[in-house]
Amino acid sequence: MKVSKSYRIFQIINTIIMIIIVAATLYPFLFLVAQSFSSEKAIYNGEVTIFPVGFNIETYKSIIKQGDFLLYYRNTILYAVLGTIISLFSTAILAYPLSKDKLRLNKVITPFVIFTMYFGGGLIPNYVLVNSLGMRNTIWAFLIPGAISTYYVLLMKSFFASLPQELEEAASIDGLGTFGIFIKIVFPLSKPIMATMVLFYAAGLWSNWFTPFIYFDSKDKWPVALYLRQIIYGATSTNEISAGLDQAQSIAASVKSASMVLMALPIICIYPFIQKYFVQGMMIGSVKG
Amino acid sequence: MMKLKRVISALLVLAMVFSLGACNNKEDKKTDTDSGTSDSGAAATEEELDYTFGLDTTFKSDEPITYSMMYSDHEIYPYQENWLVWDKIKEMTNVSFDLNIIARADYDDKKSLLINSGEAPYIIPKTYDESAFITGGAVVPISEWVQYMPNYMNFVETYQMEDDLKQITKSDGKYYKLPGMWEVPAGTGSEYTLVVRKDIFEKAGVDVTELEKDWTWDEFYDCLAKVQNYVGGNPIWSDRWKGDSLLKVVGQTYNVPAGWSLGDGMQYDAETDSWYFAETSEDYKEFVTLMNKFISSGILDPETFTQEDATAENKFKAGETYVIGSNRTVLSMYDQGLKETLGEGNYELYSIVLPVAKNNYQTENSRLENGIMISQKALDELGEAGFIKMLRFIDWLWYSEEGKIFTKWGVEGETYTVDSEGNYTLNSDITYNGLNPEGTKQLNVDYGFSNGVFSYGGTLDLAKSMLADDLKDFCERLNSYRTIKPLNPPVVGDEDQTEEMNLIKTPLMDYVKSATLQFVTGQMNVESDWDSYVASCEANNSQRYIDMYKEIYDSQK
Repeated sequence: MKVSKSYRIFQIINTIIMIIIVAATLYPFLFLVAQSFSSEKAIYNGEVTIFPVGFNIETYKSIIKQGDFLLYYRNTILYAVLGTIISLFSTAILAYPLSKDKLRLNKVITPFVIFTMYFGGGLIPNYVLVNSLGMRNTIWAFLIPGAISTYYVLLMKSFFASLPQELEEAASIDGLGTFGIFIKIVFPLSKPIMATMVLFYAAGLWSNWFTPFIYFDSKDKWPVALYLRQIIYGATSTNEISAGLDQAQSIAASVKSASMVLMALPIICIYPFIQKYFVQGMMIGSVKG
Repeated sequence: MMKLKRVISALLVLAMVFSLGACNNKEDKKTDTDSGTSDSGAAATEEELDYTFGLDTTFKSDEPITYSMMYSDHEIYPYQENWLVWDKIKEMTNVSFDLNIIARADYDDKKSLLINSGEAPYIIPKTYDESAFITGGAVVPISEWVQYMPNYMNFVETYQMEDDLKQITKSDGKYYKLPGMWEVPAGTGSEYTLVVRKDIFEKAGVDVTELEKDWTWDEFYDCLAKVQNYVGGNPIWSDRWKGDSLLKVVGQTYNVPAGWSLGDGMQYDAETDSWYFAETSEDYKEFVTLMNKFISSGILDPETFTQEDATAENKFKAGETYVIGSNRTVLSMYDQGLKETLGEGNYELYSIVLPVAKNNYQTENSRLENGIMISQKALDELGEAGFIKMLRFIDWLWYSEEGKIFTKWGVEGETYTVDSEGNYTLNSDITYNGLNPEGTKQLNVDYGFSNGVFSYGGTLDLAKSMLADDLKDFCERLNSYRTIKPLNPPVVGDEDQTEEMNLIKTPLMDYVKSATLQFVTGQMNVESDWDSYVASCEANNSQRYIDMYKEIYDSQK
């Protein structure tokens, strides 16, 4: 196919802009990776760019050797896996009935669901509630109160609504109950939206430091995101004027970088495999046929 | 459909009415229990005590007891359950802690959440500003209870802390936190100053050790010019803390609150026993003129006021600059950094005693540090007798000589030894903040001692006992060359006055802050822009603020 000259120019400009965007987004990450493999001295002197200077893997060794980091890492994996399962299941069983127009109460319930997108109880009432439910300082405080995201419910609801109704009717005639239809017919057909949700929920849980910070009292439950926040923001937060006896030292830059790389790694590894579902899931749900 | 909506609306209304009713009931109940505990508490104080306490007595409870406490977790010495400090506290006092562990980056946020939701632990240490928690009644006005704390009272009396305590007393005449108390403000080595590369200064022909005894800022400027000339003309001074510490320490010598201590810009004149707005005074004019001289001559890097600390620090560590803001803890970081970049023996750091201008005072004059708040919940749940028992435990751990030595140095024989002359020595395998640099274990990281949550305040001897030699030397020079500024009399308005003054203060001081930076960096000229600066301050209601301030002060005299 012959392309016009103006289209070619457009393509060239487009490519240049894309390369600039890629460089701008990739550079900070490459810089971080380079720092994590560099010596402290080279970092002080500002010699590190995107290639490590004074290459060494001592930082990684010391982080892995330090027992706490592995514990926090294990916690994060547990929260991400368990939390995603809980969230996915709860979102699906809420979205599925809401997608059925024939259920008359849907018109009453949907506004209640949407209401939560705009108004929340506020931090303190939430804290008091979770505390009186006895969930404070348990992993459930992290996984249950935020298990359902309204926005994702709506995405999933429109996806379910777009599935052919005839399939479900046929399954019903063949003797499947509502739950059977959902598990055996609807669920397998919903892979794109499910994959998108897995990525959304898992990434959210993976990087969430705030909820664990609020509800966990003991350090053995900390996820790695909270640990990362501690080592990065620790030194900058103290009231410097009256720091007094307390040390205002900072954690070595290479340790910060290596921790950040370790935390980002799993999400980066998983992303390419889910990416195709990601766009698909968002698009399919958005237009109702 | 309409019917359904009506039913739902009615249900919602009912639910709201019930929940309001439920709130009322709860409050009634709370007041009942309040009066109940206070009665039974009073009776219990007359019974025989189930613990020992006193001035020279270690607090010890007969029965094991647990107190809940917030714990600010420091990333440099992260919390460990098996620290010796926990075991020893338990062994000596029979007390253990139920800790709520919070990363110090977010400590204040969680403190606020816990107090406001009524779930605060009993003991709330490391509190810098307690003002926000007072009106809710969630914090005990501790000044009403300190008489039960013999070690605390003893320190207050021995070192005449009464005037210092007035600084944290609120308009109701009470104070709400137990502060950390020092015998002297400087002497702990934590005073902010400037550190210079003595080796380079000497090569440039400047002997700071002799000059610093009574040098003025102009003499200091001449020294820096010499050094700049020697190294080739680039800025030799790039400061950290966004210039706030620098403005504070220089401003103080001109009697001008600036940088970190800007506050409301009010200054006390002891001769006339009155207050004035220092930011429009002649002293202020001289102060910003001096600061501008440093910038315009290219000695001080203008990025000082915008750059991150790490950037300033890296310039110094890389040997590009020769002067930088410093305090006790960052000093050892500079030392460590320079050791890596330049190598040991190729540099010499020297904390200088700052030049003088309008007075001969040290920067700091406050002897108080952050402190401990006690949650009202403690009083409600423990009753009066149990509450006093807890206070006496706090009194021993944070305020007794024995407690202070224990939390700072650890356990005699296990972490340190003390000789017949009272000199403390860390065991050779343990290192801390410049002491025993070759040690393999760290006093705070591996044992939990010298932990900011427990260890603060104390006598000069105790503070000095742990200083490295260069800091001891700095403290001695500072205390012999400069005196301590007397405390300003407190001026505390009531809630309404404070609110009105805050409304004026915020925009006024924002303006002063930005104008100061403009004067210093040369965007505004001290001579030609002075009148418009003063006029803008007045347009921001500075006169009304001064009047209110004076009115409150006069009414309190």
